[in-house]
Amino acid sequence: MASISLEDLCFRYEGAAQDTLTGLNLTVADGEAHALLGASGAGKTTLLNLLSGLLTPTGGRILFDGEDVSALPGRARSVAQVFQFPVLYESLSVADNLAFPLRVKKASRQLIAERIDVVCEELDINHLRHAKPRTLSLFEKQLVAVGKALVRPEVTLVLLDEPLTAVEPRIKWRLRQSLKRVQADLGVTMIYVTHDQTEALTFADRVSVLTTEGILQTDTPEVIYQSPSHEFVGHFVGSPGMNFVPSEALGVGGAERVGFRAEWATLDPQATLRGRVLRERVQGTRLGQRYGLLTIDTAHGPLTMRGALPHVANGPDSSVRSLVGSEMGLRVHRYVAFSQQRKVAEGELV
Amino acid sequence: MSSFKPHNNRAWLGVLPVLLIVAFSAVIPLMTVVNYSVQDILDFNTRFFVGLEWYRETLNDPRFTEAFLRQLGFSATVLAVEIPLGLAVAKGISKNSRYTPLILILLAIPLLIPWNVVGTIWQIFARPDIGLLGVGVNVLGISYNYTAEPLHAWLTLIAMDVWHWTSLVALLAFAGLTAIPNAFYQAAELDGASKWQQFRYVELPRLRGVLIIAVLLRLMDSFMIYTEPFVLTGGGPGNTTTFLSQYLATMAVGQFDLGPAAAFSVIYFLFILLFCWLFYASINREQNMLSSEGRR
Repeated sequence: MASISLEDLCFRYEGAAQDTLTGLNLTVADGEAHALLGASGAGKTTLLNLLSGLLTPTGGRILFDGEDVSALPGRARSVAQVFQFPVLYESLSVADNLAFPLRVKKASRQLIAERIDVVCEELDINHLRHAKPRTLSLFEKQLVAVGKALVRPEVTLVLLDEPLTAVEPRIKWRLRQSLKRVQADLGVTMIYVTHDQTEALTFADRVSVLTTEGILQTDTPEVIYQSPSHEFVGHFVGSPGMNFVPSEALGVGGAERVGFRAEWATLDPQATLRGRVLRERVQGTRLGQRYGLLTIDTAHGPLTMRGALPHVANGPDSSVRSLVGSEMGLRVHRYVAFSQQRKVAEGELV
Repeated sequence: MSSFKPHNNRAWLGVLPVLLIVAFSAVIPLMTVVNYSVQDILDFNTRFFVGLEWYRETLNDPRFTEAFLRQLGFSATVLAVEIPLGLAVAKGISKNSRYTPLILILLAIPLLIPWNVVGTIWQIFARPDIGLLGVGVNVLGISYNYTAEPLHAWLTLIAMDVWHWTSLVALLAFAGLTAIPNAFYQAAELDGASKWQQFRYVELPRLRGVLIIAVLLRLMDSFMIYTEPFVLTGGGPGNTTTFLSQYLATMAVGQFDLGPAAAFSVIYFLFILLFCWLFYASINREQNMLSSEGRR
């Protein structure tokens, strides 16, 4: 196992007009589960291929345990990867698949048997040992693929490229749990690449949000959610994303815009941020709350509020009634202030 | 009450055109041959029923056995060369080069040449007096004359077939190779697999389907080969390159032994049918495997 550092990492595809990745800096601690969260086109796959040695950086360095591996090919880096769909040797049984990376390295028979036992035990796939991949479900295959990635004792880094994509939605959480448990038990350094924020936030110890601009923020899922350092992160993370209003609407100085999550605000006719409801779009009820979009015309321009519409919708008569035309006030309890899209302050405003 | 009948038998009339076409194109000609194969035909008005006599005679005919063994030898040799060579060629084609389409077209050219033209090309190409190959080999100091030496005739025939058909195997294998997702290569690379292991454990299993098709197509085709050897060697020198179809043609058209030739045809046909069945069964098996994979 090892810690991973990226130092000013740059990559440009041959013939491309500009860098796909520019000046990327990131440190992943030994044994950390790290998620790289980004929309498509942000360079996730490129970064993954740089880490696995499929591509060579055009600038900067990749360090494994402080050692520069930028120029090493994948096979010399002790990196393993789990792909979007299960990648196994189809003519070999599960046990032979697991043994393959060790046999290739001419490991002893005893070591191979030991490692297969450990991996099968850990992933709970003992009963599949003699099966051929084609007889397995996608979920089981992907488990075996994870096992194959973990089987080499010297593996320093396991890369996961949206490994839940091919698995049926209803058992995604099982695979995610298995991954999480294995990661915790074996203390493997894992980098999990995904565009799915739920996967990223639930899997990782720390999350990096990647855009074409580079890594916007790296922190624990809680901090990423509660205190985004960039407007994009606020938008991108959380469902629904953050709401943004001009800072003067809440009287926050030194900032241009103020972001708050839906649950950090309540609708209250007495509040400072007042206006008339222009539009509402109710998307359904959840836990008795109306959920959707509410556009309020305020003195600071129209503000679209995303999220649960508490109190009012949950009023005494509790039936769904239209709010359009009524006077509304918005009381924000908590906010994050941004200037030029970057976070400048955080505060409470009850 | 007829409207309540569950079946409308007139619908069978709809099948009639197909039945007629199949009858005229396949069943009737085939039954004529079967009919001939159990009769001794002296002229068109004089014929006797002889039962299975012609079948017995054909199977006991040493020349049939020889032609059959030659045929097996030819098919086996041709397969043993074309399959690995075709695979090697397919491996050698770059998957996404600018020139890939051009290479594929060039490869397909031998497949587009009429078979008797292929025979003629090689007949001239290999001639020891004026052919580039024939003269070239002799200039190198190796005495070569395919019209006189059985071994040379065989080698020339095999070279011709390899030239003619390796492209087919290569194109099929190339199509199979391009269908393998890149992730499989990446995974093998990270596992530290050698080029050979990558071929053995990633590519070969994924090429199974196309290779089965290639083997059976080539087996059936080479087993029925007629035109090219007929043009190139005419079955000679002696009978050394006389394969089944050629022997059959000599019997039926040359000697006018219609009865024995018909029996021969039926036996020959049954062999081809056996290969067809093998072909069908193995493709079916492959598909079942694939669909069971999809179902789970």
